[in-house]
Amino acid sequence: MKFYKPLLLCATFCAAVMSVAHAQQEPGLTDKTIKIGLFAPLSGNAMAYGFDVMNAAKMYYDKINKEGGIHGRKLEFVVEDDRCSANDLLAAVKKLTEQDKVFMLNGGSCSGAVVGAREYIERAQIPYVMLNASGDGALYPPSKYIYGAFSISQRAVGGSMVQFAAEHLKGKKIGYINHDDAYGGWNLEAAEFQAKKIGVDLQVQSINPNLTDVTAPMLKIRAANPDVLIITTYARPVSLLVKKAQELGWSKPIVIAVNGTADLKQLVENVGNKDAFKNVYLQEVMLDVAGGPKLKWVYDMYKAYYPELAAKPGYPQTYMPYGIPSAMAVVNALKAAGPNPTREKVLTALSQTKFDSGVMAGPIELTPTDHAAQKSAIYLKFDGESMNVVPDTYRSLWTY
Amino acid sequence: MSLNDSWLFLQQGVLSGLVTGSVYALLAIAIVTVFKTTDVPNFAQGEMFMIGGYVALTLLLIVKWPYAVVIPLTLVIVAMGGALFQRVVMERVTGSKGVGVQLVIATLGLAYGLKGLVRQTGLGDTPRSLPPLVSGDAVLIGDAVLTRLDIAIFMVALVVMALLYLMFNKTRIGKAMRAVGMNPRAAQIVGIRLSHIRMLVWALSGLISGLAALLIAPKVLITPDIAHIAILAYAAAIVGGFTSLPGAVLGGFIIGILENLVGLFISTNAIVVAPFLAILLTLIVRPQGLLGGKPQLKKV
Amino acid sequence: MKSISHDRWALLVSAVILLVLPLVASGYVLYIVNLLMVFVVLSLGMHVVIGEAGQFALSHTAFYGIGIYTAGLINTACHPPFFISILAGGLLSAVLGYVIGLLALRMRDIYLALATFAFGEAMQWVFLNWDKVTGGSNGMRMQPAELFGLKLTNDLQAYPFVIGVAALMLWLTVILSRSQYGSCLRAVRESEVAAMAMGINVKAMKQSAFAISAAFAGIAGGMYTLFTSFIHPESLGFQTTILVLTMVVVGGIGSVRGAVLGAIVFGLISELLRQALSVQEIIYGVILMGFMMFKPKGLFAGNQKRAATVITPAASA
Repeated sequence: MKFYKPLLLCATFCAAVMSVAHAQQEPGLTDKTIKIGLFAPLSGNAMAYGFDVMNAAKMYYDKINKEGGIHGRKLEFVVEDDRCSANDLLAAVKKLTEQDKVFMLNGGSCSGAVVGAREYIERAQIPYVMLNASGDGALYPPSKYIYGAFSISQRAVGGSMVQFAAEHLKGKKIGYINHDDAYGGWNLEAAEFQAKKIGVDLQVQSINPNLTDVTAPMLKIRAANPDVLIITTYARPVSLLVKKAQELGWSKPIVIAVNGTADLKQLVENVGNKDAFKNVYLQEVMLDVAGGPKLKWVYDMYKAYYPELAAKPGYPQTYMPYGIPSAMAVVNALKAAGPNPTREKVLTALSQTKFDSGVMAGPIELTPTDHAAQKSAIYLKFDGESMNVVPDTYRSLWTY
Repeated sequence: MSLNDSWLFLQQGVLSGLVTGSVYALLAIAIVTVFKTTDVPNFAQGEMFMIGGYVALTLLLIVKWPYAVVIPLTLVIVAMGGALFQRVVMERVTGSKGVGVQLVIATLGLAYGLKGLVRQTGLGDTPRSLPPLVSGDAVLIGDAVLTRLDIAIFMVALVVMALLYLMFNKTRIGKAMRAVGMNPRAAQIVGIRLSHIRMLVWALSGLISGLAALLIAPKVLITPDIAHIAILAYAAAIVGGFTSLPGAVLGGFIIGILENLVGLFISTNAIVVAPFLAILLTLIVRPQGLLGGKPQLKKV
Repeated sequence: MKSISHDRWALLVSAVILLVLPLVASGYVLYIVNLLMVFVVLSLGMHVVIGEAGQFALSHTAFYGIGIYTAGLINTACHPPFFISILAGGLLSAVLGYVIGLLALRMRDIYLALATFAFGEAMQWVFLNWDKVTGGSNGMRMQPAELFGLKLTNDLQAYPFVIGVAALMLWLTVILSRSQYGSCLRAVRESEVAAMAMGINVKAMKQSAFAISAAFAGIAGGMYTLFTSFIHPESLGFQTTILVLTMVVVGGIGSVRGAVLGAIVFGLISELLRQALSVQEIIYGVILMGFMMFKPKGLFAGNQKRAATVITPAASA
């Protein structure tokens, strides 16, 4: 019975604590600094999706700091590794918000992981700008606090690819391999919408991201005999699918979504056969190929900020430039919020964003009803070594 | 689905299933061998397989030795690792009066340790591949397509199984292993050194794991997650009969084919859950598996 | 007598720490404590089925998941006082646990372990694919738990209730362990034949142990919904079961103290090393192997006393 006394005391104390109104001072803000919580997959097998992307954002913030900061305040950050996992991301966000008390959050490269934090962010009322995650589930229906899809929304991915397959490759029947998770569901939704609108037939196979043997789905696709094959999976299954397609004698065009192109060199190595790339197209959401002339300024900036990393093979990673538009959006919103920013002012500023990042294929546009920033894609023909840009951008028709 | 398609799917499913199944069979043999001789289900089998892949990768890509050296070296390293683990860790556990569950947890510790090690080196961050020894050219068998590599995998696996059969039935060492499995005290009385045999069994398990990894790595891509293959190997061992080596082989092929057929005729979604259902079904309906003989009563 | 006052001490110190914590620490720290409380209840549940009854059940996390989804769905649908949702989760888990307990009647040791493991994995697959109910791989968003109008929207608000439930479950475990029922379970663990000879209904014991342990896991799931807004099935698989098994085994099989301590230690390692996964795994590996090598019975060797000592033959050469 001695047990109940401490329990009762605890309950009373805690009730008392809860009833104390919490301070209204804007967290993360001082006269000289603004604290931003950064997070991305920095280790593990999703590292290619976020490690250098965060580096790009950081170098942009650094540049702004060198130019005097924002209304006299320098940007400082706290960094967490979300390992592309919903549970880890949520824990990271909790820590940044409550322990480190940041002013706003900027992070996330994996859509599935990001969506899990939506509820928490809305309860904590903290502004959140995604890094390069598509994050459709947190953007539709829009949440007051969340902005994203600075790479491209998954809805835009699906729609755009179907458009490209139908328009440029003249496909009437289109094979579509996606993942059976939420992410795959989003791009499929827009793909089906687009297919219906322009009158093409979609043959879909949804696979588990952990699948090791792709014989079954590839065989079924081949049996359906489409004119073009679209693949919107993550990088590892792409290698297996391209390889299996070649083994099964597939020679028609294959179009690979941008999220499957994380490491092209490894892709070619893993497939192991140059012939497999006779008819392959890659989706690209930047305005030029990675390393191309129009993006030189980003790569030069990276070399200047991270000379040792830039010297290592495989660096900068493919998605590195994606960090720039996200960081630009944050900086622009903070500037527009004026010399006495509050979270509310920043949110209002974010909802009226419109600029050309000089990095992405399309403009960065955020409105009060649409919090997905980038929706355009270009396509490149890839023969295993070099890439050739196909003219025109291809837009998705899907709207919420 | 048309009849033509069904027939095609069936052929492809069976043939591809035989290939992947032969690898499951090898791992199942490793599991059953260790279990029969030491009464411990090795929960680190998948990780030993994974390490085999990464050791080969490191030797090939970082140390840059030629394939001819890398293959035997990998096998030796993993085999020795297995033997070392048994000698240093497992013996100590038994020495400290640890039994069943403690031994299994020790293997779990090994599994964690190996996984952490690979992660620490950063090699696992991108999926990698071993360059194939045999070309990936397609070969048509009936309506189905297999690659030269597939056929090579199958052949090598069969040869290894045959060698193991010979070893277990014709050599002294093999018979000693079986004796220890049947009755350790009696084996001791006859003069068999238990500690040696156990080390050998674990070394064998390591050897087989390494071999399986070398066989299948060019086909599936090496990531730290390929340790999951152990689940399929366990399913194979259970379906075939957890105490039967021929059972392990049969089980391996069954699970391989089942996986493919489920994927082709039901849905690709269901592929992941099929082995678990197979395990549950077998244990409920016929716990001794297909070739396990009479259901064994473990001592209370 | 000495160990009793040690326990009292430990409880008193913990009570004081838990009381003071909300006044000095951030919501994040409280989140960690809440999480540890969940692990404690999970550990206690596993202690009942493995430590007391000696049944090797590796399906624990499946029931944890059922508890989470049940409580979460009920909270979102009807907003009842939270203990109703938690109880519902616990009840559903108990029923399913009882059914799964049937497996235990027909299998021993390794086979039971493998069968329950397969069941646990199959359940995770269900969580990942039954989109309509669980949200599938999207994960499931949950509305806050309520208590007569009071909404628990953050860790601080959930804190006293999480601790309260954990304390309750601990108390129940101690009572169970000290009761006749506990003795019967331990008798079954030691020797089913002897237990039957003494007139104990071994079947009922096994199935009830399964049911009780599942209920604990289900309730732990309910506790989780008090302070989280989102659940994703990736944490509802074998990894979590192994984590809880580790807590129980390293803490000491058969010991309630061991289960609680194991939960706290490993729960802390798990969260504090979240950012350094490879280090975490290596540490786990070393701890597991080290403990099994040198102290296989765990930190607190539980009620392992036997009437007679077993005569072992000459040690294996």
